[in-house]
Amino acid sequence: MTPNQNPDSDERLRKVLREWVVDAPLPPRFQEQVWKRIARAEAPSHSLFWTGLARLVEVVLPRPKVAFSYVAALLVLGVTAGSVTAQIKSSQLDATLRARYVQAVDPYRADSPQP
Amino acid sequence: MKKGGLILLLGLLLGTAGFSSFYLLGTAHCRTMMHEPQPELAWLKKEFGLSDAEFARISALHEAYMPQCAERCRVTEQQNRKLKELLAKDATITPEIQNLLTERAKNRAQCEAEMLKHFQEVSRAMPPEQGRRYLAWVQEQTVLRGQAMENRHKMGGGGHMMDMMDAPHM
Repeated sequence: MTPNQNPDSDERLRKVLREWVVDAPLPPRFQEQVWKRIARAEAPSHSLFWTGLARLVEVVLPRPKVAFSYVAALLVLGVTAGSVTAQIKSSQLDATLRARYVQAVDPYRADSPQP
Repeated sequence: MKKGGLILLLGLLLGTAGFSSFYLLGTAHCRTMMHEPQPELAWLKKEFGLSDAEFARISALHEAYMPQCAERCRVTEQQNRKLKELLAKDATITPEIQNLLTERAKNRAQCEAEMLKHFQEVSRAMPPEQGRRYLAWVQEQTVLRGQAMENRHKMGGGGHMMDMMDAPHM
């Protein structure tokens, strides 16, 4: 047992603590500072996101494998999206021209709406 | 941060470039057709795989058909206007209205006959297989199909009556 853990000195310490009165004044705007710190601690998610993102760009992205995968993924995504969009657009134009031909040769269909 | 930012930007640029180039490449043919003097005929050429000579022949047939068609439309419009006037004057079917209805039906029959003749000429100007496909398709798409009237009476015989009953009373 160390001297600090002596039950007698422990008792004496408790006694001293009970008699101790803190009469030092609080620093100026103490309460306001406390509330500010609480507010800062409660709103970390937004800054955490940006911090995380910055860390990702700064530390993770420059790794060769990650960089190559990222660039390749975006390229594949762009190419796929471009092809699909072009296919949809082509089908729409095709349908429009088909309807225009029918409307041109059939006067009874001239007023019908295009698909 | 600078290197990471550059990689980020490079990825976005490559993605955008990939999208744009494949979109432009994929729609190039359609965009060319839309800039033709008659895009609908350009579509016909593409759809039925026509050669330049066949396309020229079909374009000539189309050009010859259009004034006839326009003339029929003009006559129909006149007849419709006249019929509207007569119906505004008389609440009953007078001999004049009856005659006009007959004339209008004749004009429509003539119009449909000319349309069919044109379709047959166009189909003959195409390679045989494509011609058959064109004729089947165009008859299905145009008024020659005559589907609207038949469908009206295909609704178990009650469709027409139901329409009448649902209509607001005058």
